[in-house]
Amino acid sequence: MVSNNSKSLPLDGLRILDLTVVWAGPYATQIFGDWGAEIIRVESIKHFPATTRGMVMRPTKEMVSQKGSLSAYPDRDPGERPWNRTASFNAHARNKKSMTVDMTKPEGQKVFDELLKISDVVIENNVPVSMDRINVNWERVSNVNPKIVMLRMPGFGLDGPYEDYRTFGSHMAGVVGHYSVMGYQGELADMTGNTLTADAAGGAGAALALAAGIRYRNHNDKGIFIEIATAENFANYLGDHILNYTVNNRLASPMGNRDISNAPQGVYQCTGEDRWIAISINSDKQWKSLCNLIGSPELAKDSEYSNAAQRRSLHDTIDQLIEAWSKGMDAHKAMRALQAEGIPAGVVMNEQDAFSDPHLEENGFWETLEGDETGKYQYASTLWKTVLTDRSHKRAAPRLGEDNEYVYKELLGFDEDKYAEFEAAGHIGMDYDI
Amino acid sequence: MVGIMPLDDVTVLDLTHYTAGPFATRILSDYGANVIKIERPETGDPARMLPPFYEDKPGLERSGLFLWLNTNKRSITIDLKKDEGRDLVLELVKHSQILVENFSPGTMDALGLSPAKLLEANPKLIITSLSNYGQTGPYRDYIGNELNLYGMGGSMIGAGNIDHEPLKTAGRMVNYHAGYVAALASALGLYTVEERDELGDHIDVSIFETASHSIDMRLNRLMGYQYTGRLAGRQSQASAVGSGVHPCADGYFLITGGARFIPNIIRMIGMDELLDQEEWSTPEGRAHPDRIDEFLPHLIPWTLSRTKEEIRKEAEKHAVLGGPMNTIEDLMNNEQFIDRGYFQEIDHPETGPIKYPGYHFTLHRDEDQPMPDRKRAPLLGEHSEEILQEIGLSKSDIETLKKKSVI
Repeated sequence: MVSNNSKSLPLDGLRILDLTVVWAGPYATQIFGDWGAEIIRVESIKHFPATTRGMVMRPTKEMVSQKGSLSAYPDRDPGERPWNRTASFNAHARNKKSMTVDMTKPEGQKVFDELLKISDVVIENNVPVSMDRINVNWERVSNVNPKIVMLRMPGFGLDGPYEDYRTFGSHMAGVVGHYSVMGYQGELADMTGNTLTADAAGGAGAALALAAGIRYRNHNDKGIFIEIATAENFANYLGDHILNYTVNNRLASPMGNRDISNAPQGVYQCTGEDRWIAISINSDKQWKSLCNLIGSPELAKDSEYSNAAQRRSLHDTIDQLIEAWSKGMDAHKAMRALQAEGIPAGVVMNEQDAFSDPHLEENGFWETLEGDETGKYQYASTLWKTVLTDRSHKRAAPRLGEDNEYVYKELLGFDEDKYAEFEAAGHIGMDYDI
Repeated sequence: MVGIMPLDDVTVLDLTHYTAGPFATRILSDYGANVIKIERPETGDPARMLPPFYEDKPGLERSGLFLWLNTNKRSITIDLKKDEGRDLVLELVKHSQILVENFSPGTMDALGLSPAKLLEANPKLIITSLSNYGQTGPYRDYIGNELNLYGMGGSMIGAGNIDHEPLKTAGRMVNYHAGYVAALASALGLYTVEERDELGDHIDVSIFETASHSIDMRLNRLMGYQYTGRLAGRQSQASAVGSGVHPCADGYFLITGGARFIPNIIRMIGMDELLDQEEWSTPEGRAHPDRIDEFLPHLIPWTLSRTKEEIRKEAEKHAVLGGPMNTIEDLMNNEQFIDRGYFQEIDHPETGPIKYPGYHFTLHRDEDQPMPDRKRAPLLGEHSEEILQEIGLSKSDIETLKKKSVI
């Protein structure tokens, strides 16, 4: 199983059939692709998947002028092929390949079988019913290739009362109880699509499951089927709160950015628009240092504030004092000043901060890649560093069907006639035909 | 030989403590790895003294957090500051494939356990160092905790409401996520050693960088900013008919989805005839801001007379995107999780049987073998003798180490 990627990367030679959509699944294949695996996205010009290559196929001018990465296209121009220019796809799809096939047709199913035979892994995170429609399941894939590793990432599980329950990350977070403990004190926060830890957790978890599955396959000489229900995976991230309930029957309420042990703790405004410093006082010693720094040295000696429990009861007062100081400070200056006193503090970084951050820069976090229909942009490098391995990225996100010739002709041995036949029949192409 | 679980024959030497590191080694143990947890004599992993405590009484074997993060592991106490302690680790390294540590950078070197020393003892060892900011860089010695690491990692600026300050995620998610990545990195490191017959390596995982690299809107927004020059910031309250958090009979329900889903929401509450009215019959009409308030007197009585689960079923039936705002108690009683046998009850000498969150994954094996039960977290130093005997120390060797307070 030969790959076109660099030969010095650890996963060189591993071939993965990628039927993932949205973010959780694609994050897993991004991680594997970054480390050298050959990721072949199996797409279709007859089917536009939800929130994968854009919210809609051809967004209107009004849509691309909206805020947020889901509406982001280079220079706010969707271009001729908007599905190749959408931020939330291009962010994860570097180092991946794209081929197209219509699996609703019998000859498309045959192509998929042929791909299964020459691949090590098949991964998907779709609503189960859509995979049933194209007969993508363990029974089928293992019959075709008994040594394949299959990973399926349903939302809640491939069985059970929620097996057809279609959700986004925000709803799933609601189901597992995240929003009962993440929120502003005394208020219901608006939780639509802001931070989707479940997707990141799902991607990392799926990648680990793949690594484990591949090891199992290599040592036992047979394939294996692993299921990661994103909700089950993510519920573990609430372990603190689950144990709080099972050990002492206690339910926490949202505390905003405050903490049950550390006081004070919070996020305070700095100079400029939407600029904040996060500060957490973990010890009485840090409290004293903070008092001196913010110009309230007398509080360091005040017995009313000497321990965390007391400070928690005076939290509102303390917050006002801190903000009176932070409001006149540049966020980065504040961070440096606080860290110099051994206080855990950090700028709440926006995108601009990330690109100009000296630590990320020095640690080689960024790489530049050029995309055919987008241009030169910066991408986050690999998720971790190793001493011995070359980690550079090889290519930007693939256009739809970018690698059809490679997959059909080189991997599957199609000749020119058969290739043309499949083009005419709606399998091969680079434009949606819906 | 790999048997039931993929990492059955892998030994992980675990020098982690607190939360992120132990999360990493715990998930490796979930996949079958033999995790040897090295703890400080007398006091052990500091997480043993973190709440919630069973019956609110602190004790080395009573922390719910510790018990959950350390299932399946075996505990040996070693004084790393002593030469014999360090030598013991170097001996254990010879019998391990992976070593994970999350000390502040420089600590391992100071203990005489630098990567060079470890690789000298076992050239095929995968060493995974997990730290707040990484082993290098201007922030290397910064103090980090859940809040400022999340803030700096960047997804936080987009979390919460535009009318308020940025909002942190619950618990210790940023830490756990880095731990998950450390486990993943270790597994891929092992793959490199085994499949490509290469030497061991030193892996550097940083909480700050895993947060900066996260797909949970961070990577998307970094791309989006480059494309448009605009900061994503925080969103305001949902602004489409029916979207938002709505009160119901037993709590709250979240509906999202945008313009496309408005007819589905209208049908869900049995107001199909509304779609015949002029202002409601076209997408443009439905998108008018007046419609949002006009719809509430229809929607709220409907939600108020139904439970979260009833609404969820209706939403699923009518292809409405939404979910219940469950409490942790709701989660523990949720029919899907119970049907799947997700929660695990594990007995323990101090707490008796208590429920834990279940596996992150399910292995479907041909023989239809069920996933093995997890074993409880170890008592402090519970397996010291057992482990040392496994690597060939005699009973008298062990006695000597005990007398010298090495173990």
